[in-house]
Amino acid sequence: MTKEKPSLLKTKLKDLTPDELQSLEKPLGTSDRPFPMWGSQRVEQNGRSDLEQVLSVIADDTYPMKVFSERPYKEVIALAYGDMPTPSMLPLFFDGLERRKPDSTNRTQMMIGDPGAGKSFLGALQGRLRTKEPIEVLDCGGKNMRELLFEMVLDFGAGEALPRAIDKRLAAGTLEPLSLGLLKQLPDTAVTKDTDGNLQGIDWNALKSAGNDKVEAAFETLKKVSKIEGLDNAGGNALGMNSQYGPLIQKFIKGEEIVLDEYNKSREGTDDNLQTVWQFCIGELKECTVENPLKNKDATSGPSTFTFRREDTKPGFFVTLTGNKKEDGVTTRSLNKSVYSRLSPQTLPDPDVIDWQHRICQMIVGIPVSTLYTTFKDQADKDPDAFGDWLLWLRRTKAESEGGKVPELQETLLTNWKNVVNSSEKLARFYDKWSKMTNSEAITSNGNADLVEEVDDEYSKKEGIDFRKIKQHLEEAIPIRPRMQKEDAPRFLDTKAWDKAPKLGEAIPENPSLNLGTRLTEFLERMVYEKSGAVGKHKLYDKLTKSMQEFALRDITLQEAARSKQRSVEEDLNISAFNDRDLNKQANMARKVFCEWLRQENPEIKATDDEIATPRTFRTAIEQVAAAKDSAAKNELFVANRDPETLYAGQPLMSAIIKDAAVYVAQSKEIDFTLQDLVHHDDFLASLALPTVSAKNLSSVWEQNIRPLTRSEPANDRGAAASAPASGGSILDHDEALYIAENKSDKKIATTSLQVLWSDEQGERPVSVHIVRNEARGKTLVVSEHAPSKLLSAFKEAGVTHVDRHDPNAQTKVEAALADITRGMPGSVKDRLVDAFKYRNDVDLPHLKGKNPGLADLLVDEKIDMMYAKYLVKNDKKKAAGGPG
Amino acid sequence: MSNTGKKASHLMSTDTLEEVGAAVAQQKAMERGPKFLPHGCRLFEVASGWESNMIRRDKGVASASTMLELEDAIRSPDVKIVFIPLDAMVTAPDIEKICQRNGVAKTLFKEVRE
Repeated sequence: MTKEKPSLLKTKLKDLTPDELQSLEKPLGTSDRPFPMWGSQRVEQNGRSDLEQVLSVIADDTYPMKVFSERPYKEVIALAYGDMPTPSMLPLFFDGLERRKPDSTNRTQMMIGDPGAGKSFLGALQGRLRTKEPIEVLDCGGKNMRELLFEMVLDFGAGEALPRAIDKRLAAGTLEPLSLGLLKQLPDTAVTKDTDGNLQGIDWNALKSAGNDKVEAAFETLKKVSKIEGLDNAGGNALGMNSQYGPLIQKFIKGEEIVLDEYNKSREGTDDNLQTVWQFCIGELKECTVENPLKNKDATSGPSTFTFRREDTKPGFFVTLTGNKKEDGVTTRSLNKSVYSRLSPQTLPDPDVIDWQHRICQMIVGIPVSTLYTTFKDQADKDPDAFGDWLLWLRRTKAESEGGKVPELQETLLTNWKNVVNSSEKLARFYDKWSKMTNSEAITSNGNADLVEEVDDEYSKKEGIDFRKIKQHLEEAIPIRPRMQKEDAPRFLDTKAWDKAPKLGEAIPENPSLNLGTRLTEFLERMVYEKSGAVGKHKLYDKLTKSMQEFALRDITLQEAARSKQRSVEEDLNISAFNDRDLNKQANMARKVFCEWLRQENPEIKATDDEIATPRTFRTAIEQVAAAKDSAAKNELFVANRDPETLYAGQPLMSAIIKDAAVYVAQSKEIDFTLQDLVHHDDFLASLALPTVSAKNLSSVWEQNIRPLTRSEPANDRGAAASAPASGGSILDHDEALYIAENKSDKKIATTSLQVLWSDEQGERPVSVHIVRNEARGKTLVVSEHAPSKLLSAFKEAGVTHVDRHDPNAQTKVEAALADITRGMPGSVKDRLVDAFKYRNDVDLPHLKGKNPGLADLLVDEKIDMMYAKYLVKNDKKKAAGGPG
Repeated sequence: MSNTGKKASHLMSTDTLEEVGAAVAQQKAMERGPKFLPHGCRLFEVASGWESNMIRRDKGVASASTMLELEDAIRSPDVKIVFIPLDAMVTAPDIEKICQRNGVAKTLFKEVRE
């Protein structure tokens, strides 16, 4: 049997060889792997030199920062970059690493800051960088600090048989009522009860070292329980009480780290005998001996003294002390002057926008994308794909070390990292303002004096914004939950058979990133109202809603944003899986949708996805679609191929082209295709549900011929030059409706219609498909015949809302979709859309005479036919995507 | 189109099926979003049924029904993923407390009834 190699961090420094020390050394911040750092620097501006706080890097091959760690290098790097403290805390991180060097004699770091600022996280992080073992974080609140050196503990013996036996009976409900009553009397910190006061669980580790007084009481209680339950006779159910080394001495002996959390909330006057220990820990003394006041108390055994010696120090030993700012509450006490002088606490600065943004990114995607982007901006802008790949590597490596996978949502967001950077900046600015508005102490000096009557100390304590609030908001916003429908959305109440479970429609699952932005911004709107307007703080509510607009949380100022190409937080965080840069992922998504749809359309097909089309086949098809040049100018599309012969030969998509009846008429030509040449309605719709293909097709359907035909210019008949807004003085150049039909409006809105093949019990015939699209927001409305249900989920990803024109609620659904598509646009846009629709659709019908129908009325009107239809016709099969080119 | 010829090549070993199933179950649980716990631990709720069974049975996963077992799992350097069954005597505040006093980042799945 081989003996396990002793941990180097737990070996006395004097016993480590130079090679062993070298093996622990992991450099951080080298020339080709710079590490972000925040600090003061002189910045020259207009001939003046000012001291400013800047974000820069450490990139030094000779003197990098060093982590002395037993973890593999890649884990250290992934943790250091992924769990990086906020920029304003980086100098403390730097100091912490310096003090953890093996030869450092100061083995403490004390940090004072606001609750939730991340003090204990930072302390533990530096320990986590060094070892896979957990770092003990001891809550000092209300505790006697003498017990850091010697403590009285319950001794359950090896295997903790007694606690396990009691747990087992508690779970089975077989504990005697008397025992239950006794166990409920254990200290509150060690038992969990439900709202009715029933015992739910016992925190034995907390009980074991709950403090000398509590341990003695618990010992007596457990002795009685053990007897009542008959466990005192069973072998192994030992119960004793011992005086032993406290956590501080134990960590020194073992060579481990400890975080003493909330140190200035410990019991007053109990840390006096720690002063010499702190002198030893900061390097002022080479040796110090402490005595055990508990020795022989109540016949307990244990050590009588302990001597800390410099020569016994192990590199793994370190003490982090954290404290809350004095003003955070009554339980926080001011420490002795000698403690301050010895431990030299470092005070955390108030978070800045860059810090809020950093934490928001860490919570959304697991790594601080914003800080990494700001640090390496030039390179990230120059090669965004390489930067994105590096971010994904960091996230995946961190996940590997923590167990589990990277959630799909985070993978999608990291692939679209620019959206994360943009949206997190706006969110950070909004949260920064919100925190200032709810900080009663600084309200008169931070530009929010008008809120002084509404924001008092109590409100500030309860509702003030800190990192924990952001965490809660994100926890609420990330999951997909039931959503309240628009007030004017259609409703249907089935008044019959309420005694039975409801009939549910087919589930249409949604990718979590698809509406993340909407969920988050809607939740923030709700929170803003609940925390201000709803509780009578109207000024605060007004200011917060203005801030939401100012930082473009939702696209309220869409027109301005559209002009400046800015995007709202909502838009940036609503990310379709279809936008994934990875073509393999796109191909897999496309294949899944295609195969499920194919089996639904043709129930006789029982073949598996692999039997229908391999992933490689789909990748090739998607690549060919992506690479197809001039398809928009040629009105060329790619539609789903159901022809067995070519499909199973590896062609899941086929080429199609728009043939314009107007061109045939203008050229006095006979129509040279038949009904059978038309693309089937479902094959076209399926193409709109496939990544890459959907976007390509939606760029190829627009009007190209009206402008040239009215000028007697060549029309777009299979490859003819596409029309463009002419430079001449035609009246059409000022026709916004025509630009809308051509998808060339500066409002980024468009509409057109196509004719495809439809077959039902009434036979085969051409039917219209009407399309309305907002390209800027990637939203499309398609109104046509009934759509196969297997496409609906993918339509969501493609930003497509499909409405069956025969649906009883079709008009309301279309109105809702149009309202969304034209959100923030002037009312006149809807009129121009109607005009654009009329370019190809004959609305001069008896039932519409004397009426002024809106676009929604026209889109769902079954009687409206196309004049000079644009037919979607199957193209030459040799050009089928996925086929032999 | 034959749907028989290729079947043999699609057969997966039981181990592979279990692994794939556990990975799918984990991703499904992750879709519900995390609860952010101290020190970078993340807690995901997993629906009771096939999803929770797949995660529970996964080789690298430790199951914890009591606070003592949970803390053992959190403290073990060999355990990265912890599964907390539906009937565990561990509440959400208990989980948070145990994660807070053990500075280590792990992934936790808590079984919930849908």
